[in-house]
Amino acid sequence: MISASAFFFYLFSAILLASAAAVVTSRNPVHAVLFLILAFFNAAGLFLLAGAEFLAMILLIVYVGAVAVLFLFVVMMLDVDFVQLREGVQKYAPVGAAVGAVLFGELWAVVLGWQVSPGADSLQGSPTPANMDNTHALGQVLYTDYVYLFQVSSLILLVAMIGAIVLTHRRREGTRRQNITMQQTRSVRDTLETLQVRMGAGVQELGILRPRPRAEPAEEEPRHEHAAGDH
Amino acid sequence: MQDGALPVSLGSYLAVAAVLLVIGVFGIFLNRKNIIIILMSIELILLAVNINLVAFSAALNDMAGQVLAMFVLTVAAAEAAIGLAIVVVYSRNRGSIEVEDVNLMKG
Amino acid sequence: MMNWAAASPEIFLAVAGMAILLFGVLLKKENAALCTMLVLGAFAATFVMVMQTVPQTAYSSLFVTDAFASYAKLLILAGGALTMVLSLDYNERQGIGRFEFPVLMLFSTVGMMTMASAANLMTLYMGLELMSLSIYVLAAFAREELRSAEAGLKYFVLSALASGLLLYGISLTYGFAGTMDFAKLPDAVTGVDGVSTGLMVGIAFVIAGLAFKLSAVPFHMWTPDVYEGAPTPVTAFMSTAPKVAPFVVLLRVLIGPFGHVSVQWQPIIEVVSIASMLLGSFAAIGQTNIKRLMAYSSIGHMGYALVGLAPGTESGVRGVLIYLLTYVAMSAGAFACVIAMRRQGKSVERISDLAGLAKTDLPLASLLTLFMFSMAGVPPFAGFFGKLYVFLAAVQSGLWLLAIVGILTSVVACYYYIRIIKVMFFDAPAPAFDTRSASVSFVAIASGMFTLLFVLALGPFTGAAEAAARVLFG
Repeated sequence: MISASAFFFYLFSAILLASAAAVVTSRNPVHAVLFLILAFFNAAGLFLLAGAEFLAMILLIVYVGAVAVLFLFVVMMLDVDFVQLREGVQKYAPVGAAVGAVLFGELWAVVLGWQVSPGADSLQGSPTPANMDNTHALGQVLYTDYVYLFQVSSLILLVAMIGAIVLTHRRREGTRRQNITMQQTRSVRDTLETLQVRMGAGVQELGILRPRPRAEPAEEEPRHEHAAGDH
Repeated sequence: MQDGALPVSLGSYLAVAAVLLVIGVFGIFLNRKNIIIILMSIELILLAVNINLVAFSAALNDMAGQVLAMFVLTVAAAEAAIGLAIVVVYSRNRGSIEVEDVNLMKG
Repeated sequence: MMNWAAASPEIFLAVAGMAILLFGVLLKKENAALCTMLVLGAFAATFVMVMQTVPQTAYSSLFVTDAFASYAKLLILAGGALTMVLSLDYNERQGIGRFEFPVLMLFSTVGMMTMASAANLMTLYMGLELMSLSIYVLAAFAREELRSAEAGLKYFVLSALASGLLLYGISLTYGFAGTMDFAKLPDAVTGVDGVSTGLMVGIAFVIAGLAFKLSAVPFHMWTPDVYEGAPTPVTAFMSTAPKVAPFVVLLRVLIGPFGHVSVQWQPIIEVVSIASMLLGSFAAIGQTNIKRLMAYSSIGHMGYALVGLAPGTESGVRGVLIYLLTYVAMSAGAFACVIAMRRQGKSVERISDLAGLAKTDLPLASLLTLFMFSMAGVPPFAGFFGKLYVFLAAVQSGLWLLAIVGILTSVVACYYYIRIIKVMFFDAPAPAFDTRSASVSFVAIASGMFTLLFVLALGPFTGAAEAAARVLFG
């Protein structure tokens, strides 16, 4: 009789591997992304079983919430003929399978008889503290011992941001965009007007028309710009 | 073998990760033309590494593995963003995302 | 005990990079040249800071500053600065002059400096990723050009796979040893009878991942295409500093933590080295495009440099360090000449475009001749000494095969280097090139002077390399 946690380990692993296989073999890339999400969920389950709760949650937030959505977005955006992309799969399958089999054989031999170095116990860089939850323990070393790497990882994200913008951002002609200087420099006087409104009088009668009549273009111009600021 | 906090043996975790890694590598070979699936295969490879790291971290009672796994998550997200940006640039220039019929440049 | 100051050059450079980025964004005008100048200034300041660092270990022994790291960082900064100067004129003429370019180069350099200072496999990985992610973007920087986007895509896919495997190797090493600290790894490695297969596979994956970045055979397949497709300053960049950083970190890992198991990795390095030398010299023969030729040339050069790593001795490491120094100078110079190849506002890349250059532009032809002779290893130019030191180290350790293959392939390589010289001096002249800008001439002349006069300053450079090499064995 296996324990409940062992049962869940096998369940999560089985679904994880099956959905990973579906990712690489599915015909439709949207299905592939959905299987990828399933794989991430099950991997998060495996993390939980190993006591890495924080990573499990981060995996869901970062991968399912951001990366997988990004994939979906690009798949939808590119509008590619995916049937055509499947051509040649039969041709490559044997090579891929051969490489995979060799790699698998090697790794299988390595991992099944995994031996930890006898000295490993005394070498730990940051031993897991007892009586402390996972998130706390992680936070305690992440911002102290590993602060340099933490900063490097922030630079990596900055580079990714610069990269994505510099590669894909296009300045389109004819789009209206936000003009911050103009927004900041305009004063209340240009845009707001206080009127004494007589009870019961119609706007027509008082001359309050929106949009204003063309007679005052100087004030008209900036208002339009702001309204149409696109990001 | 000391298995620390793991519910099953360390070897089982490593085996799952190894199979996942192999699936990822196989996926790259199988979908030579479909760059999006290749990117997803790379994500699978990094996921395999993370499973390894978390398992070792639990088995060795050491937080370093989880810290590295966290950094790997960050890098993987950055990699996905840049990879997809390059794919978008490529498809704008070419009108398709087939990587294989790269005839402009020959080895 | 935390000592922030140890990483002050990196911190300064990163902060300067962010400031320049902000400056570039806020200043609406065309400001690529200005930002490049600012980045060069930041490099110069960092260069001075690196020279003043004191040897120490910091950040919970994730990070080490020693003579070896400083030597590598100075070389990385110099290589990065030279190629950045080359980008000034090229980017403007190609219409890709955007301020993000120098900023990305800067962040890539921060990554490389982190690698040079790595005292832990985690630092190695993070530095490597910061370096590579910036280069993916740079390779695809000419986004209107299909071949640039293609180069970026190809490099990205293969490199990401290589990083993944490297990381798997790191995880196996960690799982075996319980630590990723270079200082502690030897204890874990020596504690066992024989060598664990898991550790062996881990080391092999780490070597494979780094060999990919070095474009050593059999992980070289991306090199010619990416070199050809990427904008030329990016190609120049890729063949200088981003070759140095993975190489020094490979030296540090293999000599330091895995020095005790050198019997295990030595054959891998030998095979990779011999294969790179052979492919680098024979595959280059049929090339007609100069950037592809340089790609094969750099594969070959990495093969020669690995000859110095194979013995795992102090004199070998010294040889590698000198080799990398001369290689960076020669590459930067040769790529300056390639960037000078423009005709009617268009960049030309065929070797036949160089025909009769000696009659139309003797200074450029002489400089390129100088670099070709140096790359071929003709004395008394810089390239000769690099080869001399690594081959000597191999012979001292009885690795005759490496030395012999090295000398034979050098002779073959001479053929294609000298073919370029022949085309320049004896073929019927092609139309003259456009006038080149002062910045390109500066890089060509500076690297040329270094290559030519290296022999005079042999003592100090060898001394510095020796001091750096001693650290790994200390």
